[in-house]
Amino acid sequence: MSQHTLERFDAETNAAVLSLDAGVYPIDVVYGAAYALIDRAYVLLDKESRADGKGSRFLVHLRGKAKLDEAGVQALSGEFGNELLSQALRRKVVKQNGKLIEEIVTQAIAGATGASLPQDFVDDDDDDLDFLDDPLGIAVPWEEKFSKKA
Amino acid sequence: MATAHTLRLHRAMYMAQAIRDAMRVFEDFAKFSMERDGDHYAVAIADVDADVDGDLVGEFCNFALAHTIERKRRTPK
Repeated sequence: MSQHTLERFDAETNAAVLSLDAGVYPIDVVYGAAYALIDRAYVLLDKESRADGKGSRFLVHLRGKAKLDEAGVQALSGEFGNELLSQALRRKVVKQNGKLIEEIVTQAIAGATGASLPQDFVDDDDDDLDFLDDPLGIAVPWEEKFSKKA
Repeated sequence: MATAHTLRLHRAMYMAQAIRDAMRVFEDFAKFSMERDGDHYAVAIADVDADVDGDLVGEFCNFALAHTIERKRRTPK
């Protein structure tokens, strides 16, 4: 269950305020969700301590760029909640696989620049073969190779 | 008609440099001033150009937020 609540909705100003438990969502996740909505809504983030002094909460002020009714604002805040979960999962995956991602990128960049190729890939054969040489007899036709001798 | 607004942007959520960037970008359309007010930056917006089509305050908020996020992403942790 998503830990965000629609605190206020004002149809006249087309605005809503959501509150999020700051202990549940890291600030990066809130930023990510806000960034995703920035093309459809005006977003203002705020933070306040709880009245009981235990922890704090984020306040997300959303105002639709287009005129929204209550259902529209509910949908927008629901979308914000979904985006929060998506960003939280994304953050977790990146955290878990960060080292692997870094290694793959490093190898890709090293490969592209030609730096530090493994020795197995370096052609250090110094023989004088050219493409016409056929030391293994691969180019010899089957009939020639296996025909019964008359 | 001249309108005035005061935005309160939390210092834990917005970077001062991002707010200054936003003030510079929108300076042709209104007068801006910023000062620290406890946990917030208080941004006063006055003399909004009457010809401005759209919500200047909202766009200013989005710009400051987007630039804060982009700056934080660029800054190594």
